[in-house]
Amino acid sequence: MSAVSDVAQPLDEPSNRARAWRRFLRNPAAVIGAIIVISVIAAALLAPELVPFPSHAGSFVDFRSRHLPPSLLHVMGTDNVGRDIFSRVLFGYRVSLLLVFGVLGVAVPLGVLFGLLAGYFAGPVETIVMGFTNVMLAMPPLILALAITAVLSPDLVNSMIAITCLWWTWHCRVVYRVAKSVAAEDFVEAARIAGASRPHILFRELLPNCTAAISVKTTLDAGFVILFGASLSFLGLGVQPPTPDLGTMVATGAQYLPEMWWEAVMPGLAILYAILGFNLLGDGLRDMMDVEI
Amino acid sequence: MADAPILDVQGLNIGFQAYGRMSQVLHDVALRVETGQRAAVIGESGSGKSVTMKAIIGTLPQPAGRVLGGSIRFQDRDLLTLPRRERERLKGTDISIVHQDPLTSFSPVFTIGEHLEDVLRFADRRLGAATSAADRRRRMEATLAQVQLKDPARVLQSYPFQLSGGMRQRVLIAMALLHRPKLLIADEPGTALDVTTQDEILRLLNQLVSEERLTLLMVTHNLAVVRQTSDYVYVMQAGRIVEHGTARQIFEAPRTPYTQQLLEAIPPLYGPRVQQRQAHSTDPVIAATDVVKTFRAPRRWLGPETPPVTAVRGANLAICRGDIFGIAGESGSGKTTIARMIMGLVPPTTGRIEIDGRSIDDFRRDPDFRRRIQIVYQNPASSLNPRRTVAQTLSVPLAFAGSVPKDQRAERIRTLLGQVELPSHFADRYPHQLSGGQKQRVAIARALAVEPEILVLDEPTSALDVSVQKTVIDLLLALRDRLGLTYVFISHDLSLMRNFCNRIAVMFRGEICEQGDTNEVFEHPKHAYTRALIASIPVISDAEERAKPVVSLEERRAVLASTVQ
Repeated sequence: MSAVSDVAQPLDEPSNRARAWRRFLRNPAAVIGAIIVISVIAAALLAPELVPFPSHAGSFVDFRSRHLPPSLLHVMGTDNVGRDIFSRVLFGYRVSLLLVFGVLGVAVPLGVLFGLLAGYFAGPVETIVMGFTNVMLAMPPLILALAITAVLSPDLVNSMIAITCLWWTWHCRVVYRVAKSVAAEDFVEAARIAGASRPHILFRELLPNCTAAISVKTTLDAGFVILFGASLSFLGLGVQPPTPDLGTMVATGAQYLPEMWWEAVMPGLAILYAILGFNLLGDGLRDMMDVEI
Repeated sequence: MADAPILDVQGLNIGFQAYGRMSQVLHDVALRVETGQRAAVIGESGSGKSVTMKAIIGTLPQPAGRVLGGSIRFQDRDLLTLPRRERERLKGTDISIVHQDPLTSFSPVFTIGEHLEDVLRFADRRLGAATSAADRRRRMEATLAQVQLKDPARVLQSYPFQLSGGMRQRVLIAMALLHRPKLLIADEPGTALDVTTQDEILRLLNQLVSEERLTLLMVTHNLAVVRQTSDYVYVMQAGRIVEHGTARQIFEAPRTPYTQQLLEAIPPLYGPRVQQRQAHSTDPVIAATDVVKTFRAPRRWLGPETPPVTAVRGANLAICRGDIFGIAGESGSGKTTIARMIMGLVPPTTGRIEIDGRSIDDFRRDPDFRRRIQIVYQNPASSLNPRRTVAQTLSVPLAFAGSVPKDQRAERIRTLLGQVELPSHFADRYPHQLSGGQKQRVAIARALAVEPEILVLDEPTSALDVSVQKTVIDLLLALRDRLGLTYVFISHDLSLMRNFCNRIAVMFRGEICEQGDTNEVFEHPKHAYTRALIASIPVISDAEERAKPVVSLEERRAVLASTVQ
C-alpha cells in the first residue's frame, strides 16, 4: 500500500541472457534440435574426411556393386551405378546447406526489410511493396522458378537465385502483418516523440517484436528450401549430375521402389533428419527469445 | 430471509499447479450468502476474488486449478462432490454469471440472437426440456425487454459491434437471466463502461434483484460500486477473506487496516477529505483557440464517400504554468483527441494551439521546442516495448531528443529511476517482469528523460488498482513540486480529478461544456451534462451522496439519451 510495496525488493537476479540460455537448455526438444543441426553442419563440412568412399561423390561407376542393400561396408546401401549412398548423402548435405543458407541468407533479410518498411510506412510504400509481393505470391512458385532457371543456365547458383526471388515475398508478408500491428502500439509513438530516427524505430522497436514470427518461418523454410531445391533438381534444372543432391537421389531411387527401398528412403531420411533438426531448433529459439511467457 | 443460506462456502482452499509446483491461491475462504441477499466480494487484482467465483460456477482453469479442500454448498448440495452431470445442469441455469467485458464476451461473427439461442438450446438440452424455436424466441425477447432494451427484435438481429458498450452489457445480463437463475454472479459489472452507463447498469441490477427475487454475488475492485449495490461485503486480500460485514459496517467502521487503506485510497468527491489544489500562477502556457478536428475516413477506391466525423468542435483552453489541468469526459467525447493535438500528434483541422505564445507547428522544425511537452500513456502494457529492457527504453529519449552522450546515459538512467522511486537494478528488467504500477513509473521516467516542462497524462492510472493509483498520483504530485511541471490530465475518473486537478474542463460530444476552477465546477456545476456526470459517480459515504447535485430523471434522459442507449 505504501510507495514501497509497489517497488519490488532487490533480488540477486541472473542476467537476462543467462536466463534465456537456461530456458533453452531446459527444453529438451530445442537441445536435440541444436545437436541435429550441428551434426548436419559438421557432416557437410567434414564430408571428405568422414565418408568411406569420397570418390563416390563424383562420376564413379561400379556396376558390379549396384543395388547393394545396407551392410556394414555400405551402411545405406548403394545406388543404381554402385555408389555408396552414405557417402553421397553427406556430400549431398553440402549442397542442401549451401542452398538453405544461400537462399535464406538473402531472402530473409530482404523480406524482413521490405516487410518492416511496408508495415511502418503507410501510403505509397505499403501499396507498392505489398502489391508487388501479392502478385509474386499469386504465381505458382515452381513454374516461376522453372522460367527463371530456364532463362539462366541450370546449375546450383542459378537455382538459388530463382528460389531467392520467390522466397523473400513470404517473409515480407509475414513481417508486414506483425510490423503493422506493432506499429500501432503506443511505444512506437513514444519513440517518435522521443525523436527516435526511422532506422531506430524499424530495427530496434519493431524488429525485436517480429523475431518470433521470423524465426518460426525461417526454420520451417529450411526444410521447404531443401525440398524445393530437390524438386528443381528432379526436373533437371537444379544441381546437375554427378554432384550429389538429396532431392535428385530420392527422385532416382524412387524408380527402384519398393525392392531397392534404401535408394529412396535413405536420402529421404537424411532430408527428414535435417528438417527435424531445424524445426526443433527454431521452436527452441522462439521460446528462448519470447520474453513474455 | 430463508433459514438455510443459498450459497455456503466453507474453508475453500485452491491451488494452481504450474512448472511442477503447487502454489496455493485461496486460503480457507468462507462465504455465506442468504437467499435474496446482495453480497459482494471486493479485492484488488491478484486477491483471489475471480478464482473464488470460478470455483463456485465451476470454471476453474483445468488442469492447473485444484481444489485442495473445503466445500461449496449451493441449496444444501455440495457442488464439489456433485456428479459432473448434475453440476453441469446448474451451470448457467440456477447459477449464472454476468461477465465483465461486454465486448470480448461475444463472438464477433454471430448475432446477439444466435448467442442467446445457443445459451437457451444447450441449457434446455441439459435440463431435458424440449422447446420450440418460437418459444425460445419469445423468451429471448421477453428477457431483453426485462433488461430495458428497446426494440428487442432489432437487438436480436444485431452483431455485437453494432451495439454500444452499455447495450452489450445489458445483453450479457439478459443472457444470464434467460434461465431465471437463483444465484446471479456479476463479475465487475459495468466497470469497463463510462460512469453514466455504469450507473444505469447498477440501477438495472438492483431493480432486477428486487423484482426477480434474485440473489446477487458481485465481484469487484470498486468499493464505491459495492456501496450502492450490496448488503453484505467480503474483503479479500492475497487469497484470504480479511474482513466481512454489512455494507454499513465496512464503509463506516472498517476494522482491518487493509480495508481502511482501501477506503482511504479512494479519492473523495465531497467533504473534508477532498484535497484542493491551488494554481501556481496565472501565467498561461498552453493556449488553444477555436480548435476543431474532423476525421475523414480514407476514401476507398471507387467506394462511396463517408461523411467526416467531428471529434472536437471549437475548443478553447488556457492552461497556466504549474496547473494540473483536467480534461474530463466519457469515451468518444474528444478528450484524447485534444490531448493528441496539444502533443502535436494530430494536426487540428482549424484553429491554433500555442505553447508559450509559439505555434506548435514549430515542433517539426525545432526539436528543442518539441522536447518541452511529453506524454504518459494510459496503458503501460502497450506504451513499453515488451522486447526492450527498462534501460533500453529510457535510453531512446536520452540518445535522440536529449542528445546525452553514450557514457553518461547509464548515470542518467539511474537518476531517472530514482526520480520515479524505482531501484536502479530495474534497469535490466523487461516490462513483463514489472507490475502495472512499476511499468507506469517507467513510462513517467521516459517522459521526464528530456526534462520537459509539460506532461500530458492520458489516463495514467486507469489501468491500475486503487491503492497503486494513489502511489502513482502521489509521485506525480511530488514530481510537479520538485521539477515545476505543468500537467494536462485526461481522465474519465471525476473523483480522482476532483482531488488532483486545480482546474478542469468537461467535454461532452466534442465540445467543452464547462471549464473552470475544480472546486467551483464540483460545487456549482452549471451544465446539465456536468451535473448528470457528477451524479453518476459512485461514492463511499452517505454524506457525499447527499452533497452530489440532484438530477431529475428527465434532465438525465435529456443529456444522456444518446449515451445510454
